[in-house]
Amino acid sequence: MELVYGAKSDVGLKRTQNEDRFCADPHLGLYVVCDGMGGRNAGEVASGLAVEAIHKHVLEAAQDGNHPMIGQYDPTFLPQTNRLASAVHLANQAIHRQAQHQPAYTGMGTTVVSALIAGQVLSLAHVGDSRLYLIRGDSIQSLTADHSVVGEQVRHELLTEEEAERSPYKHVLTRGLGVNATVEVELGEVPVMNGDILVLCSDGLTLGVKPRDMFQAVRREWNPQAIADRLVAMANAAGGEDNTTVVVVSLGKETRQGVWRRIWNRIPRWR
Amino acid sequence: MSEVITQGPKVILKFNESILKEVEITQPEFTIGRRPDNDLVIDHAAVSGRHAKIVQVQSVFFLEDLGSTNGTFVNDRRIDRKQLLDTDVVTIGKHRLIFRDEVKNGQPSDAPKFSDLNSTMVMTGQKFHESRAEQKVGVVQIISGRTDRKEYKLAKRLTIIGSQDQATIKLTGYFAPKIAAMIGRRGEGYFVSTSEEVKTIHVNNKAVKGQADLKDGDLLEVKGVKMYFYLKEPNQP
Repeated sequence: MELVYGAKSDVGLKRTQNEDRFCADPHLGLYVVCDGMGGRNAGEVASGLAVEAIHKHVLEAAQDGNHPMIGQYDPTFLPQTNRLASAVHLANQAIHRQAQHQPAYTGMGTTVVSALIAGQVLSLAHVGDSRLYLIRGDSIQSLTADHSVVGEQVRHELLTEEEAERSPYKHVLTRGLGVNATVEVELGEVPVMNGDILVLCSDGLTLGVKPRDMFQAVRREWNPQAIADRLVAMANAAGGEDNTTVVVVSLGKETRQGVWRRIWNRIPRWR
Repeated sequence: MSEVITQGPKVILKFNESILKEVEITQPEFTIGRRPDNDLVIDHAAVSGRHAKIVQVQSVFFLEDLGSTNGTFVNDRRIDRKQLLDTDVVTIGKHRLIFRDEVKNGQPSDAPKFSDLNSTMVMTGQKFHESRAEQKVGVVQIISGRTDRKEYKLAKRLTIIGSQDQATIKLTGYFAPKIAAMIGRRGEGYFVSTSEEVKTIHVNNKAVKGQADLKDGDLLEVKGVKMYFYLKEPNQP
């Protein structure tokens, strides 16, 4: 399945630093968004470490099938999903270790939402409240459930989504990458099809843009980069309260793009 | 409103130096004010009708001022919303409330602590209980067609039906596609999904393109292979 992506990361209108990081590697089929937290520049450090560590591990494993894995292997998931989990655990270790060595970074952490596409299967691993949406046909669906206090309350039906949006506790996470020596990573596996569009995003997007508006943006644009640009513009139009990062992946269907654009999109990029 | 001294989280109401009462906090939202319908009624002019509330979020307690006239204070600092820690002193009007949250043996609770609710933070020391209650398990029974086994228990998140190595339900016929279909698990239920190679499958003799939910007893046909899908109790043979 051909994968074409577009990505944009923006500091927003109210913050002075962008603590989000992303990586997109179409050759590997790997897409990651991380939203860092911590004093001074610790947030940037944490999200940067996470994205690097995850990409490195998946790349090394693609080159060497026997590359060691960390964490407990879960036989209810496919090998590539376990591999993605291993990458996230490694990222957790990298951040936690760095925080131990430098007092300025104590307690730093990051969210992570990562997708690895192999054949017709999408493997996902996430920690925190950055999300992955799947747009197919006339529906948009979140493939992740937030690891936040209000997210857990919604999951257990103690709160509705609307109440969660208005809750003063909505920024309180129940899991973060790098904050503790170990972390519980939530995994998923979903079959994907030609024509599917994936949107990975930090909560800066979902703060200001509702899923139905995201859906409109996706259907209105011709290519993933235009979708990503439009989504960030919408988040800023809604106030730009937080950093917003969006990675849009289009599966299979040929989109209207010139040859050069297609080549540009095949190069792995970083922020 | 009980007046029994217990080990659970509670507030001790004081006026000057006298202890008036002790109240256990058992509700997720515990209201304090002058009106009689509050969980803790403080009948004094300096207290607003609905003055404040204590909200429980998992094992953490937050005190929230409800727009009171004279304000709500924690350890002599005025607050709108603040986490309450064991032995914090709350001042409402002229009354003081001591918040106690001990666990057994008089040890202080090890609930996470944080002060500013506006920036993102992570609760630490939290154990996550994903209640994996006894969920039913999907089982597939082959009726006709060439597969490596006659029965399959669907223990995995995604069960691939096809000829490729990763397939659980291996199609052994000639020209069997690498991936013919996939059966996935979403929460309590299962669904079946078509693949790029096989655009149409049949569920209960009706054509399905894309995805369809699977119910106990459904008849599934994929590339000439017929099978029944069942939902069984986890320890049923």
